[in-house]
Amino acid sequence: MILVENVHKRFGDKVAVEDVSFVAEDGAVTGLLGPNGAGKTTTLRMLYSLIVPDRGRAVVDGIDVAQDPAAARARIGVLPDAKGLYPRLTVREHLRYFGRLHGLWGRALEARIDALVELLELKELIHRRTEGFSQGERMKVAIARALVHDPKNVLLDEPTNGLDVMSTRAMRALIRRLREQGTTVLFSSHVMQEVSALCDRIVIVAHGRVVADGTPAELLERTGHHSLEDAFVQLVGIEGPA
Amino acid sequence: MRRYVLAVFLKEAKDHLRDQRALTSALFFPLFGPVLLTIVMQVMAGWAAGGQSVKVAVVGAERAPNLILFLRQYGAAVRDAPLDYERRIQEGDIDAALVISEDYAENWARGRPATVQLVSDESRRASAARVQRLEQLLASYSGMIAAQRLMVRGVSPDLARVVQVDRIDLATPEKLAALLLNMIPILLVIAAFVGGMNVAIDAMAGERERGSLEPLLTNPVPRGAVIAGKWLITVGMACVSVVITLVGFAIAVGQVPLEELGVKASLGAPELLGILAAILPLTLFASAVQMLVATYARSFKEAQTWLSLLLLVPTIPGMILAFAPFEPTFGMNAVPVLGQHLLVDRILAGEGLNGGRWLLSLAAIVPLSALCLWVCTRLLHQERIIFGR
Repeated sequence: MILVENVHKRFGDKVAVEDVSFVAEDGAVTGLLGPNGAGKTTTLRMLYSLIVPDRGRAVVDGIDVAQDPAAARARIGVLPDAKGLYPRLTVREHLRYFGRLHGLWGRALEARIDALVELLELKELIHRRTEGFSQGERMKVAIARALVHDPKNVLLDEPTNGLDVMSTRAMRALIRRLREQGTTVLFSSHVMQEVSALCDRIVIVAHGRVVADGTPAELLERTGHHSLEDAFVQLVGIEGPA
Repeated sequence: MRRYVLAVFLKEAKDHLRDQRALTSALFFPLFGPVLLTIVMQVMAGWAAGGQSVKVAVVGAERAPNLILFLRQYGAAVRDAPLDYERRIQEGDIDAALVISEDYAENWARGRPATVQLVSDESRRASAARVQRLEQLLASYSGMIAAQRLMVRGVSPDLARVVQVDRIDLATPEKLAALLLNMIPILLVIAAFVGGMNVAIDAMAGERERGSLEPLLTNPVPRGAVIAGKWLITVGMACVSVVITLVGFAIAVGQVPLEELGVKASLGAPELLGILAAILPLTLFASAVQMLVATYARSFKEAQTWLSLLLLVPTIPGMILAFAPFEPTFGMNAVPVLGQHLLVDRILAGEGLNGGRWLLSLAAIVPLSALCLWVCTRLLHQERIIFGR
């Protein structure tokens, strides 16, 4: 479970996140929806402790991220904004590296990698170096390395960005699989369709604030619109909390 | 902690052993110095050998006894020409042959130009200097006789000498050779910096440029372990580079006839080990500084620019020592790079590795390296380093 409470973050004069709070429940998919520059990425980064909030706190499975960042990171798998790979390493070597950084070695690690190969259909890629991989292939490797320690919480920053239809469908299927396993999935997107297709709960962020939070049905009801897209446009247009 | 460092180290090792660019610079650049030294030393040994007496074979020596006497007086090894003298010149047994013409004596007596053929093989560089010496001898003989003839006729020989050229050559082979040996510590220091340079760049600036730093830091690995693992592989490459350079020099110095150049330098096993002990600690510092600079750089290119400039700095003490020697004090051993230079200089001078000076240089290098690595670790906590691309 992920809990974000009143986090604030400013970079110099620019306020990136101004009072964001929400909860992402176990076994549910929570979507962080907002236009570009709304503060989604910054919020996620505060969750995986690469950015320290000025105020407020983030809690992962009861662990305060600021107090024990390493323990919090151990409980989350992250597909960050930057998804760079090592061009001279094979896919298996990527997974091995990240697995070891999670304290997995030897047979347990190799078994977990084999499971990921199965789950993400990496068989064709696993022994290839990542140089020259397509966008979809790169994304697969990045997500596999985020899941190498079988985390209970998964944070995905724009997971379908730049993917073609087939890869997008595969990503959706994966997110549903993770939910079935009881994993907490929190992902950010600026694409309405993406969020509405997957989410149990939607947190709409604009100008660094949460402007709406609820199930898709609740959001429709609140705004009186028939499509989520209209609801989104109306909510994002509002200054300050609704 | 140790397992994390090991994980980072193993990954970087695999990654960089596949990196042609880093490998080439770590393995081949170090050979540049020794190869250059060998070539230059060989050439200079050739010059020094130019001081040997010129071997001349003479055809018809009996027609010019005066000339032969003159050549002998000035150190030429003159003997009667064998039948196959042309072949023997080509083979290098004889430097040159003089063929005294049939009418030499007659022309000589009448004051007309008396012909002498100088036979040599200009493609033989080894004897070129000695043939030149022979030409100078012939010219001065000719000038001497001409002066005598003018004096007999009551004319001052000075009238016939319009310009007098005195040649003063400052570059004795000995001096040059000593200068070249001074290159050894300089190139060893450079090897300590060059060997790990590309690794440091790729491990820090490359990680930022590829966008792989953010994913890496989302793992529950301490920043210090990331830095330590990357630093260790950088140090490893730098050490390999230093060892290759040193072995190269050991072979090069063995190939070169140093005694002929009048240079005293011994490079046996004790000296080699001493030099290794003196230089290897420098790789700790060099790698740490390079990691620091490469962490600041946003891209591979930027890091390369800064680190290439940085590469010039450690050559400064060596250059100063080579071209404007000063009397080093004990405290100077604490200055990184300069300290290692002084240690190696003393070893090359046959004094061995001085334990006190070595400890002092180490006492300076260890905390400085630790400081650089600590700053690196702090930098990895900064948002502008992690995300700034």
